[in-house]
Parts: sequence; structure tokens; C-alpha cells
Amino acid sequence: MRTSLAELERLEHWLLQQGEPDSRLVTEAKVLINADLLAKAQCQQRSYELIRHYGRSQLRKEILAVEQELFQSSRHRSFQKRILSIFNYRP
Amino acid sequence: MNHMITMPEPIALQSREALLKDWYLQLFPKVAAYIQRQGGDLEDAKEVFQESLIAYYEKQTLEKFQPRQSDEAYLFGIAKKKWLTHQARRQRLEEIGAHEIQEDPQEKPVAATLLAVLKQTSERCLNLLQAFYYENQSMQTLAQRFGYTSIRSATVQKYKCLEKVRDQVKQYAMTYEDFLS
Repeated sequence: MRTSLAELERLEHWLLQQGEPDSRLVTEAKVLINADLLAKAQCQQRSYELIRHYGRSQLRKEILAVEQELFQSSRHRSFQKRILSIFNYRP
Repeated sequence: MNHMITMPEPIALQSREALLKDWYLQLFPKVAAYIQRQGGDLEDAKEVFQESLIAYYEKQTLEKFQPRQSDEAYLFGIAKKKWLTHQARRQRLEEIGAHEIQEDPQEKPVAATLLAVLKQTSERCLNLLQAFYYENQSMQTLAQRFGYTSIRSATVQKYKCLEKVRDQVKQYAMTYEDFLS
């Protein structure tokens, strides 16, 4: 793995609290004395947040697709009737 | 009736849709009946259930949570809590005269723009990264799912993708002062 990717991996271990504690301590010390590395760590942390946000939006799409199928497909008529009867809707 | 719906850890993508469907078929009627009794309507029930599914999924994948009770009992507990939050938020919004209910904290507009750009230019990378960091899939599963010949090459690719996202974040951080806050 090239040097920049190895550095990315070390920052990941430190940010996500993975891998060897000794190695994480070394990374933490480097981050504390190196402003450039600190900036990289901050951007990396923000990247994880964005990726999780993207993952959640993908999951939400899947949930809505399942919901649409259950409420619209003729294969799930009994489910639809059951739910509508709870809310006293008359089709 | 006490349904035990077991969920393997982590959840394989092909089974995620089936799992969501199972949860809907088995648990949504109970949640819907509860919300109806509390004065909510069908749209309320759908919104609350969506939020509950997301919360429960994240608890299992990101926090590696294993429920002591059945999935049904736990998910129903989350739904009850979400309903209270939903009601409280609605009440607050009614008090201030707002009409829109935001169920989920949204990313800042700048972040949404960045995600849209990344989706356009590096969707495969985003999918690979979210499969690892959000779905909590193993590198072995990722290698198979994304067609890499080995775990090693999938790992290298994952870091290349992360570097790509981080570079974009850096560019945005230079343009928008509060982007990293």
C-alpha cells in the first residue's frame, strides 16, 4: 500500500479506535504536533460522517421501496386491508 | 404471539430487503394499532416505523447490539419512543406555526451538495465505503460483492476511495469555513 494510504489507515485506526493501542498512541502524538496531519484527520472524520449519511439515505430508499410494494402490490391485499381497517379507511 | 426474527450479523445486502419486508409484515400492524390508539394516522405510523427501522438497523450494525428480548419487543419499544418524539416535535412546530416535520437531522446543504457531486463522480466508491462503514460488511464480503480478486485489493481500493472523499472534503473545507464543524 502506498505511503499516503498507509497514513490514511493509521488515522482511521486512531479515529475509529481500532488496532493496536500503542500504534494509536503514536498516531495521536503525531497528530498533536503536526497541523497538516490534524487537518487530514479532521477531514477524514467528516468523511466518515458523510459516508454514514449516504448509507442511511440508501437504507431509507430501500425502506420506502418495501413500504410502497406492501401498500400497492396486489400480492399484499390482506396486509393492506388489515392496516386500513386499523385506521377505519374504506377503500 | 411473540415473533423471533433473527438477524445475522452483519446483514447481507440481499437479505436486507427481505428482512425489512419481514419486519413490516410482522411488526407494522402492531405499531400502527398503537399509534392509532394514541391519536395518530396512517402517515404518522409510516413515518414512525421508518425511523424506528433505521434506528434499530444502525444499533445492530454500528453498535453491534444484540437484543436480550425478541427483535419485535425491542423494535416496538423504539417505535413507542419515536412516537413520543414525533408528537413532541409536532406540538412544538404547531406552537411556532411551522408545518414541516423533519424526522431526521439533515446534513447541511453544503454537505448534501458534496454528496451529490460524489454520487455523480464516484458512486461506486461511495457504495463500497458505505457497505463497509454503514452496513458493517467484512472485507471478504466486500471483495465478493464488488468483484475484487482478494481481500487485499478490496482493502486498498477502500482506502483509495476514502482518500478521494477526504480530498473532496478538504476542498470544501477550504471554501466553506464551517464545513468541518
